[in-house]
Amino acid sequence: MKSRMKFLSVIMLALVLVLSACGNGSAESDYPSKNVEIVAPATPGGGWDATARALQNVLDEEGLVEQNMNVVNKPGGGGEVGWQYLKGKDSHSLSINSSLVIANNLLGQSDLTYEDFTPLAVLATEWISVAVPSDSDIEDGVDMLERLKEDPKSLKIAVGPALGNNDHLSFVRVADEYGVDVSQLEFMIYESGGDVLTALLGGHVDVATLSISESLEQHLSGNLDIIATTADEPIPEDESIESWQDQGIDFTFPHWRGIMGPPDMTEEEIAYWDETFSEMVESEEWQKVLDNNGWQDYYMNSEETKAFLDEQNEMYEDLMKTAGLTE
Amino acid sequence: MGVDWNSFLEGFTTAMSFQNLIFIIIGGLLGTVVGMLPGLGPATAVAVLIPITFGMDSTSALILLGAIYYGAMYGGSRSSILINTPGDGSAIAATFDGYPMTRKGQAGQALTLSTLASLVGGFVAIIGFVFLAKPLASFALQFGPAEYFFLLVFTLSAVVSLSKGNMIKGFVSMVLGLLITTIGVDSQSGVYRYTFDIPHLSEGIDFLVVIIGIYAVGEVLYNILLINNEDQRIKDDVGRSWITKEQWTRSFWPMVRQAPVGFLVGILPGAGGSIASMISYSTEQQLSKKSDEFGKGAPEGVAAPESSNNAAAVGAFIPLLTMGIPGSGTTAVILGALIMLGLQPGPMLFQDQPDVAWTFINSLFIGNIVLVIMNILLIGFLIKILKTPPHVLYPIILVLAFIGTYTLGYSIIDFFILVIFGIIGLFMKILNIPTAPLILAVIIGHQMEQNYRMASVSYDGLWAMITASPIAILFAVLTVASIFLPALFNRLSRVKVDNKG
Repeated sequence: MKSRMKFLSVIMLALVLVLSACGNGSAESDYPSKNVEIVAPATPGGGWDATARALQNVLDEEGLVEQNMNVVNKPGGGGEVGWQYLKGKDSHSLSINSSLVIANNLLGQSDLTYEDFTPLAVLATEWISVAVPSDSDIEDGVDMLERLKEDPKSLKIAVGPALGNNDHLSFVRVADEYGVDVSQLEFMIYESGGDVLTALLGGHVDVATLSISESLEQHLSGNLDIIATTADEPIPEDESIESWQDQGIDFTFPHWRGIMGPPDMTEEEIAYWDETFSEMVESEEWQKVLDNNGWQDYYMNSEETKAFLDEQNEMYEDLMKTAGLTE
Repeated sequence: MGVDWNSFLEGFTTAMSFQNLIFIIIGGLLGTVVGMLPGLGPATAVAVLIPITFGMDSTSALILLGAIYYGAMYGGSRSSILINTPGDGSAIAATFDGYPMTRKGQAGQALTLSTLASLVGGFVAIIGFVFLAKPLASFALQFGPAEYFFLLVFTLSAVVSLSKGNMIKGFVSMVLGLLITTIGVDSQSGVYRYTFDIPHLSEGIDFLVVIIGIYAVGEVLYNILLINNEDQRIKDDVGRSWITKEQWTRSFWPMVRQAPVGFLVGILPGAGGSIASMISYSTEQQLSKKSDEFGKGAPEGVAAPESSNNAAAVGAFIPLLTMGIPGSGTTAVILGALIMLGLQPGPMLFQDQPDVAWTFINSLFIGNIVLVIMNILLIGFLIKILKTPPHVLYPIILVLAFIGTYTLGYSIIDFFILVIFGIIGLFMKILNIPTAPLILAVIIGHQMEQNYRMASVSYDGLWAMITASPIAILFAVLTVASIFLPALFNRLSRVKVDNKG
């Protein structure tokens, strides 16, 4: 009986070996061959976590990825902890990213650069708004810039949660282009976008720079006024909101979110995700995610993403210098 | 704003529907259990359980998350009272008199008292919510950097003044706590302080790790190393669980009057249960005729902070639902979940979706009653923990402490920090240094510093900051009073005694 079992198992083993040798011929259909892990480099509940879970949900529901997917939270250091983790994994781990993957390195907070990873896609963007209390006498974005040009310390500007983020940098950039002495600007840094909003509604600051999804509700109910946005298109909820472009300043600034893989992914693997994500962004489920979160579609495939990141890197390098954050 | 009674009643019926009632019960139970574990406070409980709301309709999801939240608020104090290990910042004050009651063999009564106090706190706060949500939300907006700064200074001074006759030790404890909060990125300048190139430290040390270290690990170390003596062990006799008439009369007014205090503090974004319960505890101690019994198992010392922190938990929903602004870590997590479900809390919520808002408010009300029943039934089961022999109980506490710590940051570095604070906690116990000032300083130190820095941009000098508004003046005066009044009262009462003699 025992010897028979042994014989059977040898046969089985041989069969497996032969089959897997055949399989090598068509490697692309094998990937992904095990569970796919989506790293959210943040605690549960935040924006990155929301993106990761939305992605997992939609890919799963639409049946775009056959394998199981799970979300892993690796918070800390503005993405640093999660991305360090990703760097040591194989191609079955992906991570959500944003411009911080570029900014952290430029600010000297991380040795990792965006070039250490395989760019897969940019998925969505938010636009950034400049808002004032509804009883403010600042008329529009240009009026505000004019005042700051005269006296950069005349307005207190709220931003959160940290200097060097997109809300901060986009403000610095537009002010700098207008000729404001940005090194003199008076920023107040709050813990979160919610705190920025509270400070503005309570009149403790004069101006706030924050994402539109955070300010829009209050704008629509008349508690504050959005005086400019970094968008390149009208805001569907209220088309009377003026972007910087509408006010004659040629300036747009996306606050994007994307996804990347560990270093050295093969072309087949990249092609797999290009196909998957391009299908996903067309789905209704994904559209619902965008709507719920106040995000706009900003899909770019891996090629485009690579070029986009190079371009972003150059822009941020420039921007950090202007903002006085780097030498 | 008038109350929209139609929507209110409709909300009540929806909340009472079978499905939602089940969600309230499940959420309350899950929250209670998770809240009892050291370090697993409401924020973690809600965050971990968010995925189960996927696919639910947004009203039920909101009800479930709300139930988990205040379930965790009820649960948080269970471990404070039974094993001197708070599950969360807002349950710390429950250790002050709750654990001494347990040592006196009154564990059951302490649990009953805390449950009833939570009910009173929640009840008063919900009434406040129904009638005053909108005006209070705009009141909270008046808190700018100067007002926050003095509120936080007052909270610290109130807690330091609790360490009666030993203010120096209390002060040392607080300074140590404030020093710990200097670790991490300084928000205003972006400078990295004491992070030693460890990315994990850039966000500072999580106060929950400090709490778990000092209380759970420190307590276990202390008991293992220093208590061999059987007499010092908690009495096996856990007493009756229903409270005496004296306990009730002593606790009733503190419960009732601290509920609005907690409610108001809870509405302020960023303040919340820890601050509310500390303020309530210290004011009750100052008001009490039997203030020397505080810290030794006074029933009102359990009732006051428990009523207050539950009221604060309800209050925290006001900025969330009326303005879309999360006032605490937990409500921030809930906001994230609601947005994913397609519900946008904010100024438009009561206009566009009054049914959702009022159903939720009613579910808070029903949930509180359900939780009281559930918690009273659980008491008999919970006090069995005390009968667990130490060689079984302590390893369990340690394991839970490490698990709780891991869920906070998913990082091994936190384990080292946990052990360090366990040892600090051990020495503080041996040297009889109060731990509450340290913990509170760790919870609010960063906020206090940042608000001071922002206030110093807005105002020229300290005097201008104090006179910024009546609110700032009020808290500045209360701060001074909390330091000098106890000393003054002491002197006065001594004079009286002398005269008699």
